[in-house]
Amino acid sequence: MSSLATPPVAPETPHTGVWPIEANRGVYGVTMVILTEATLFVCLFGSYYFLGADKYRWAVDHPPKLAKAFIMLGILFASSLVVMWGERLVEQGRYRLARGAVFTTILMGLVFLAVQAFEYKEHWKTLTPLTDSYGSIFYTITTFHAAHVIMGLLMLGYLSILPDYGPTQLPPHRPYHVVALYWHFVDVIWFFVVLLLYVIPHFQFYGF
Amino acid sequence: MSTLAAEEQLTRLWETPKTIYGWFASVDHKDLGIRYLTTAFIFLIIGGVEALIMRLQLTHANGALLTPEAYNELFSMHGITMIFWYASPILSGFSVYLVPLMTGARDVAYPRLNSFTYWSFLFSGILLYIGPFTGQAPHAGWFSYMPYTNIVYSPGHGMDFYALSLIMLGISTTGAAINFIATILFFRAPGMAISKMPLFLYSTLTISCTILFAMPALTLACVFLELERRWGMHFFGSASGGSPLLWQQLFWFFGHPWVYVIFLPATGMISIIIPVFSRRPIVGYPYVAMSTVLTGVVGFSVWLHHMFTVGMSDLTMSFFSAGSMMISLFTTITIFAWLATVWKGRPVVTTSMLYALGSVALLVIGGLSGVVAGIIPVDWQLHNTYYVVAHIHYVLIGANVFPVFAGLYFWLPKMTGRMMDERIGKWSFWVMFVGFNVGFFPMHIVGLMGMPRRIYTYAANLGLQPMNEVMTFGAFLFGVGMLISIVNLFYSLRHGELAGNNPWNADGLEWAMSSPPPDYEVVRIPAVATRHPLWDTFDEDEDPGDLRVLSQARLCITSNMLDAVPQAAATMPNLSLVPMFLALALFVFFLALVYQWMWVCLAALILTFLLGCTWLWPRPIKGHL
Repeated sequence: MSSLATPPVAPETPHTGVWPIEANRGVYGVTMVILTEATLFVCLFGSYYFLGADKYRWAVDHPPKLAKAFIMLGILFASSLVVMWGERLVEQGRYRLARGAVFTTILMGLVFLAVQAFEYKEHWKTLTPLTDSYGSIFYTITTFHAAHVIMGLLMLGYLSILPDYGPTQLPPHRPYHVVALYWHFVDVIWFFVVLLLYVIPHFQFYGF
Repeated sequence: MSTLAAEEQLTRLWETPKTIYGWFASVDHKDLGIRYLTTAFIFLIIGGVEALIMRLQLTHANGALLTPEAYNELFSMHGITMIFWYASPILSGFSVYLVPLMTGARDVAYPRLNSFTYWSFLFSGILLYIGPFTGQAPHAGWFSYMPYTNIVYSPGHGMDFYALSLIMLGISTTGAAINFIATILFFRAPGMAISKMPLFLYSTLTISCTILFAMPALTLACVFLELERRWGMHFFGSASGGSPLLWQQLFWFFGHPWVYVIFLPATGMISIIIPVFSRRPIVGYPYVAMSTVLTGVVGFSVWLHHMFTVGMSDLTMSFFSAGSMMISLFTTITIFAWLATVWKGRPVVTTSMLYALGSVALLVIGGLSGVVAGIIPVDWQLHNTYYVVAHIHYVLIGANVFPVFAGLYFWLPKMTGRMMDERIGKWSFWVMFVGFNVGFFPMHIVGLMGMPRRIYTYAANLGLQPMNEVMTFGAFLFGVGMLISIVNLFYSLRHGELAGNNPWNADGLEWAMSSPPPDYEVVRIPAVATRHPLWDTFDEDEDPGDLRVLSQARLCITSNMLDAVPQAAATMPNLSLVPMFLALALFVFFLALVYQWMWVCLAALILTFLLGCTWLWPRPIKGHL
């Protein structure tokens, strides 16, 4: 039974004298938030296909153009890499450079939103949310994603002014990791948006 | 350190000051749990009064107490209040209060989130009731089918209050679920391996996971509804390529798992109460635990049985019919485990036990009428009749209200420190039990006779009036029974016997501490070796260095997921007003959205973000690390 009372203390972690300080609640929390938000997007994609199930063509008229969506995917993937690099910097204790990585990611996120604005502007000529059910669901899904990008940017903004990234005795613990996980999630969701809403409609066979 | 010195120090760290600031800023799960219970109970009373007014209207053929519109609004508000603002929050109340006591932690994993979820639950309820008080009540039932809810057929703000208050409640519910999962998985006392958890923790864990995966569907349905109503987008209108069935799919994908959300924690409570009063451990603990988890999982593949009449392929219907039948298997395992426990034990008939056994009886009736309604041709016949009303009330009152009363009679002594009066309690039980059956059993019969639900009256020549008179009498009797218990509560708060630590001779960790528990709950975080720590004698793990006292700061022990081997000390936050203000900012946001004050919305969102940053900003905790 003695194993029950003896906590394993690694020498360099923050501790109370006897116990190491717990530092994973933020990670548990953000994991669960990601799970429930991912379900939200599953429901959105489900609605997209449910609405398309009884249509002759889906997307209605022309499938959306690919170029900008791929550029945006590239930007987000690159920004995820930057955040991963930042996490490694935090592990190495190079906090100033890690903060630089946060600012870089914010910039890339803003560029992403700017490109999306151009994409919307172009799209708007032929399709608006009020055109038909396809327009409604298309803009809803992409705007939901944009809202998550903005949420991620706000989290990064908070991270950029947070004084301490390293192991601390007081919460927030591992803030960099928590924000990075959310940012990766936003990134992965855009991959699915591009795949399902942009790419697949180009490969559909509509019969004769 | 002497125990006394440790107690003093822990009290200094954990006490919530009895001031106005302390009241609003409290993050203590005991305060919040009692508030959850009280608020949800008030919603029960509101919803109950709405039901009684409807019963008055239906007593006589061609009744004229209510206009058809008022009747629509009443049954909608009744359903919405009961299902969303009573049934689930009252169980959250039990979980908020009991989960940390049962796991041996001093608080939940995220105490400030706990405070936020309480306040946002309260404010979302207020948001919902602003509707009726400004003459704009939702009127489309608790599941609000399209196309009746679009702007043409439902002008005004009624449905907007419905959609937006539900989104806000969804945020609150999801937050609570996250809190329970983290607490149950990582804050259990050393040694309380996953195979030794009280069954109530299994059911709370299951429904919390269910909430994570079910809630988004409702949120999304409500978002679509708002976009369609207020911004003219097309999701449900078939003229522009939408489908009214999209609402039903999303709603029931959420809705059926939700049935288990308001059912499973109640079974968890019964699984605690029946063994205690049968004076033996529950029969088949692993089977009951697994049935609970499997009900949550399989609960995701039965939602189409609410929609058998919309037209779908035979294969689809068979699949979902089979899924529904499979669920009854798990419930049956649980019920037989309870019966076997009573059979093999030496039952003591207390009020709490009476409510638990009564709930089993009602649950069996409701479950069987559900099996009947789950057969597809019968479902087509019974669709939208009072038979369905009878079924839902037998299940929800049998599996939620009666267990809640059992739980209240069982745990209120722990919360208040005083015993409830047993004699008044038994009177209350019998009046409620008889009243309920007189009020609701005839609904099966009038349903088979073809009385439709949600119609404000019926013709005199249908022969339905005598049965309806009986039902109204029963419903009022049920209300009187409930009132007796409320009187009992206030009487017992003053005159009840002192409860002592363990009045029921129960087995759980919560009964090891005084009633009501001290602010810090336990001087030494307990070590657990069996499923019944207070029944089985075992050598308490020696703690000579006072490692598990943790009296230098606000600290809890975390352990790992499966074996509960202690891992670390978690810092617990101080009192804070931020959660309440955050909930208030969200309330303003949703209220402004109802009235389309977009600048207020934006301001509320910015405020929400700033409050979030304040919440998460590093700050010291009480004590010295």
